[in-house]
Amino acid sequence: MSSEGLVLATAVGLFAIGSVGALLHRHPVAMLMSIEVMLNAANLLIVLGARVRGLADAESAALIVLVLAAAEAVIGLGLALALFRRKLVPDIDEAAEVRG
Amino acid sequence: MDDLFGPLLVGCAVALASAIGVVLARRPIYAAIFLLVHSLSLAALFGILSATMVAVGQVIIYSGAIVVLFLFVVTLLPSGGRELGPTGSRVAAGFIAGGGLVVALAAALAASSPPPTTSGDLGIAAVGRSLFSTVLVAFELTAPLLLVAIIGAVVIWRRHEPAPRTAPVQKVAEARRVVMHR
Repeated sequence: MSSEGLVLATAVGLFAIGSVGALLHRHPVAMLMSIEVMLNAANLLIVLGARVRGLADAESAALIVLVLAAAEAVIGLGLALALFRRKLVPDIDEAAEVRG
Repeated sequence: MDDLFGPLLVGCAVALASAIGVVLARRPIYAAIFLLVHSLSLAALFGILSATMVAVGQVIIYSGAIVVLFLFVVTLLPSGGRELGPTGSRVAAGFIAGGGLVVALAAALAASSPPPTTSGDLGIAAVGRSLFSTVLVAFELTAPLLLVAIIGAVVIWRRHEPAPRTAPVQKVAEARRVVMHR
């Protein structure tokens, strides 16, 4: 197995693990953490592409994805805290505030 | 790049194990600790892949800001973030989706041939030049993005704030009752 193949397989595994976690968890914060794992898997692929192709632009894209992850975490955690701060045991299935 | 196989293998193993820990941890505080290990192992992987700038960014932004934010939120949660167990349908959906993703992505990987490795300048200076030339617009747009995220978080928080306590109103009503009974 080549080094590129190893990192590719790791990225695939991380994405699958993250998606399983996002579906398994009912706690919004735990769910967000699984989504962060998926985001990290995508970022690992971008960095691998930058290394294989020798492109500095791709590394800049990876940095911008990091900033996006920060913004996403802020909004997600704000929503989770605002919706569930009065619940002792929060359940993501109970959130129906935006039902049309 | 094959001389890096050993360090990459260690980094990938730690990243995968800590990701499994994030998913399987029963309490969010343990999941946040695993997320910290995961992000540090990814920073190591980025360093091995000679993406120094991204590795530094991962440590500062991810381990330093996002994971600490998660830790703060977990400590603010009532009862330390106890969680209901997953329902049977969730377990089934999770494993079907995970298995399907692995099969689909592995098939896509097997069908593609690895591209030839080309060497290029990936130093911090090259990334800085790229940030201020090729991706300048996207880079500058991250500043308003973060500002909007901060304002949005505050607005969401204020909108769901619980109603103010009614103690003063009760006092007024009690005073009225006293006056009426005289």
